[in-house]
Amino acid sequence: MGLAVDIVKHDGNRDSEQFSREKLHKSIVAACLSVRTPVGQAEAIASAVAASVIAWLEDKPEVTSQDLRVVTSKHLHSHHPDAAYMYEQYRITI
Amino acid sequence: MFKKCNSFYAYSLTNVLRLCYKLLKETKNKNMDILSSLAIIALAALIHASFQLSVSVLTLLSGHSIVAKHSQAKVLRLTSSFVFGVGVMTVLLLSFLSLIFLDAFNGQTPDIAWAMVCGLLVGVSLAVWLFYYRRQSGTSLWIPRPIASYLNERTKATTHSAEAFSLGLSSVISELVFIIAPLAVSALVLIQLPAVWQLAGIGIYTVISMLSLVVIWVLIGGGHKLSAIQKWRESNKYFMQFAAGAGLLILGFFTYVTEVIGRSIGGL
Repeated sequence: MGLAVDIVKHDGNRDSEQFSREKLHKSIVAACLSVRTPVGQAEAIASAVAASVIAWLEDKPEVTSQDLRVVTSKHLHSHHPDAAYMYEQYRITI
Repeated sequence: MFKKCNSFYAYSLTNVLRLCYKLLKETKNKNMDILSSLAIIALAALIHASFQLSVSVLTLLSGHSIVAKHSQAKVLRLTSSFVFGVGVMTVLLLSFLSLIFLDAFNGQTPDIAWAMVCGLLVGVSLAVWLFYYRRQSGTSLWIPRPIASYLNERTKATTHSAEAFSLGLSSVISELVFIIAPLAVSALVLIQLPAVWQLAGIGIYTVISMLSLVVIWVLIGGGHKLSAIQKWRESNKYFMQFAAGAGLLILGFFTYVTEVIGRSIGGL
């Protein structure tokens, strides 16, 4: 069952989009892999974090992409602090 | 007769000694000039090395390559091509500026050109102190956001060595607003050197300006965690910003004293 939550983009110029669990999962796996976490562990962490984020999203009709990023990072931090750091840094490296 | 001959030899000997002393002094001055010119180039290159855009792009590029599950050999190939691209663009920019200055001034740089470059150094140093990093967490720079987004997207899309090489070229161009000052002063110094020393100067500038990039490249190649590298960069960003600004200010002041004031009061 998919969640009907709108994600409002943080720059405000782009249209909002529907929440995608796959997209979230992929971004968390990428953050874990970038700090050389084994693939299996990265997948397991991504599943656990995505489940926590979905639980947080359930009663909300829309959230900003920035809020989603902060909450994801918070949950990821408890599993893998280095991956959480890289997840936060993604858009603020350059 | 004997007395006359003796005084002639003594006179000649004195002249020869005078000539030798003059030649020795000129050679010493020339060597000092070359040395101080190379020192200015080295300091300018060191300031260039403290600018961070290429390092940020290299960090992102290696991150994306690791995420794409490329082998370590491919990650190294991509990052090496990127570093090579940065080096090539640095050489091209420095040579291009030197050629323009050589053509414009014909080897006799006017004081006004030195004064303008010194002004540029001071202006860029203030800009670096005030604006280099954005006031937020992370290592975001004050470069136009569309350029930053473009570089971000390109690092993600880079899968071949040729693309990584082009990314290296682009990242140097993107930082031109900051590196133009050390490049310009180095180009002005270079055109005053003999031809062989010009090549040496370009080599010295390129090698020193790439030191920070090469260190990061070696760390990534050695399997260090990107998070550790990025954390170090983030926690030391204000020091790097201060060092770059101070370096530019010192270089501007030193160049002004030696090339503008020194010449106008008879040569230092």
